[in-house]
Amino acid sequence: MSKFLRSWESLLILILGITTAVNISLAPEFLTLQNQVNLFQLSIEKIIIATIMTLIIINGEIDLSVASIMGLSACTFGTIIDVGMPASLAILLCLGLGIMLGAINAFWITIIGIPSLVVTLASLIGYRGFARVLLEDRGITGFPDWFIALGRDGLIGSLPLSFFAFALLVATLSIVLHRTGFGREVFTIGNSAEVAHYSGLRVARVKSILFILSGGISAMAGLFYAARLASVRGDAAFGFELDIITMVLLGGVSIFGGKGSMLGVVLSILIVLNLRNGMALMNITGHIQTAVIGILLIASVLIPNMLERLRSVST
Amino acid sequence: MISPPLAGERSTIVSHPILELRHISKSFGMTAAMADVSIAILPGQVHAIVGENGAGKSTLIKILTGVHQPDEGEMLVDGKQMQIRSTEDAQKHGIAAIFQEPMVFPDLDVAENIFISHHNLGLVMNWATQYQHANEIIARLGITLDPRRLANGLTLAEQQTVEIARALSLNVRALIMDEPTASLSAHEVDRLVQIVEALKMRGVAVIYISHRLEEIFRIADTVTVMRDGKHISTKPISQVTQQGMVRDMVGRSINHFSMKVAANAHGEKILSVRNLTRDGVFSDVSFDLHIGEVLCFAGLIGSRRTDVGLALFGVEPATSGYIEVARQPVTIDSPQSALKYLIAYVSEDRRKFGLALNMPIFANISLPSLKKLLRLFGLIDRKAEIAMAESHRERLSIRTPNVTIDVGKLSGGNQQKVMLAKWLETEPRILIFDEPTRGIDIGAKTEVHNIIRELAIRGVAIIVISSDLPEVLMLADRVLVMREGRQMGIFDISEATQENIMALATGQTAAMSQ
Repeated sequence: MSKFLRSWESLLILILGITTAVNISLAPEFLTLQNQVNLFQLSIEKIIIATIMTLIIINGEIDLSVASIMGLSACTFGTIIDVGMPASLAILLCLGLGIMLGAINAFWITIIGIPSLVVTLASLIGYRGFARVLLEDRGITGFPDWFIALGRDGLIGSLPLSFFAFALLVATLSIVLHRTGFGREVFTIGNSAEVAHYSGLRVARVKSILFILSGGISAMAGLFYAARLASVRGDAAFGFELDIITMVLLGGVSIFGGKGSMLGVVLSILIVLNLRNGMALMNITGHIQTAVIGILLIASVLIPNMLERLRSVST
Repeated sequence: MISPPLAGERSTIVSHPILELRHISKSFGMTAAMADVSIAILPGQVHAIVGENGAGKSTLIKILTGVHQPDEGEMLVDGKQMQIRSTEDAQKHGIAAIFQEPMVFPDLDVAENIFISHHNLGLVMNWATQYQHANEIIARLGITLDPRRLANGLTLAEQQTVEIARALSLNVRALIMDEPTASLSAHEVDRLVQIVEALKMRGVAVIYISHRLEEIFRIADTVTVMRDGKHISTKPISQVTQQGMVRDMVGRSINHFSMKVAANAHGEKILSVRNLTRDGVFSDVSFDLHIGEVLCFAGLIGSRRTDVGLALFGVEPATSGYIEVARQPVTIDSPQSALKYLIAYVSEDRRKFGLALNMPIFANISLPSLKKLLRLFGLIDRKAEIAMAESHRERLSIRTPNVTIDVGKLSGGNQQKVMLAKWLETEPRILIFDEPTRGIDIGAKTEVHNIIRELAIRGVAIIVISSDLPEVLMLADRVLVMREGRQMGIFDISEATQENIMALATGQTAAMSQ
């Protein structure tokens, strides 16, 4: 396990080096702090969610509903502001809503026993539906200045609050995943839920915690999104789940569970951001950018499988 | 002679074998699964094949159906030498098999299931004739079953009927039935016997494999006994007695297994189980277990011994009954609660339930004991974890370059030891072993036996579920025999013999107690 990961991660570092070099040659100002901050800003909500998605996929599950929770949280925030309640109360309510939406997913997955792919596909549609019902065709603006500033302005230097949230999540979840008993349980359940159950692990509890965390973090990401754009609409964050899952899989996390590392996911996030930036510098359109990322995703799933197959043939 | 297809209503008086095995041998690596077996199968007759687990019955079925090729010997179909290279080959020669678990497609209806193996149906199906054909075939079996019903809603017995009908539709001439009644009720068994009679009338040869001796006397014309891959005897049923059959099945003299050490002097009672029941699976299991004692659960496959083990470990909790650990009444409804009372269960299926194969040795060993290794903020003490694994590696002589490689890379015997280490680390008072030596080589087997005995001496109370009778007689202080979810009796080791255990396990005699 560790050996393969090491080689996967070194491959990612190599790719990152190449994309960075190309970007610098295209635009010397690429490495400036301001450009890097802008780069992160554009995708900050997605990469925040990618941290918890890493744990969920290593656990052998998937959460497709994250972008819909983002959207519903942002729309709920807008609605509450619209009726004239204070933004601080709205923030708390939205975080609570996210935790509740995650708990609903967890209920169907762990208590009723429906696969997370199905449950979160349903909630992807359902939660998005609520968001659209809430706002219909309206867009809501007029958030308090301090709220918008939180999303856009630097908190320390030019780094905004959302960047610190991301850094904190990477650090804590990386320690939780790789150094704590809970992280070991996440890995073991991803390897074999049955072995975990027969070893006295509380499989349902671990899964529930992850989905509830995912709901809460997605709701927070939705608030950052609302703050950064200073407006919300029913289709806020629509389709983000695919980019998020792409980043996680490209980071070497196995879609079958049980394998992966936070380091790999952070590297893959940097690569994806670099690629998008580089292609933008070369005036490549957004659609083609998406296609390139798609090809990367296919390669990231195919290459490990092909290596595995080659290895089993040779032994 | 050329056997006519079964269309005719002919009853066979004198006939030549449909199928004949001559001096068939088959080995897997070093183990001879079948050695020099010769059997002739006559049309319109039921040929029963009996033997203990591991006697070579499954290998025989696999050779007849083309799954395995024999190493030596020849097979004759209608007196002509043939090679059966695949199940399709077997089907072409009119040989088919049905197993304990019927293989039907739940989302197709009865008729579709019957005709699923017909490759020459053409592009457009004529459903009207299809259902009519299905009806005819079902009628030939002397039963009623609506061909339009979905297989999903059928009982196990009805699914079995569908399988038999499928074989008939392919003009089967030799039908192998492997433990067909293992999951059937008494009434369903009666119906199956009727179907077998109908098949005989049509000149189909039935090769019938069962552990239930009374059934064999009811149904068979000829009985072949196998043991350790060898052909022991073939006799007409009229010349067979139950005692004689059991003796042939068990065979070996007990003297071969006299390595048994003197029974331990036992300590106080640690586990007390009364009327433990899981509805529809097993009922009224009652026994006591003492410190330092080895209690073996003997019985045939399907006797539900594993289910009792799973109930005691909380994986599939009992629905009623009473459990006392160290004289305290307890409720065991999950593995967590079992572990709390220091009960551990070493699964028979290492790959599925025992080990996370893609994780390192140390992570597998520490898994149920992780709490011991947790420090501030739930961080794992890595050094202590590696030390834990190393100590087991030394004690159990697990052969591996280091404890950080994935456990899946080890040999079967070493994997078994890692699984053992994992449970020993929980320091159990009660340790349940389910088939602890299945599928590992002789050397590792002896080591596992020694470990079990040593644990007992050190005061662990042990339950061993084993289908290996010599192993049971060697390890046990007492033997609990189960049959079809019921406890048939408990022997002290001084009274236990292979014969009386088999007699209870097969239901040959009424239950004896203590």
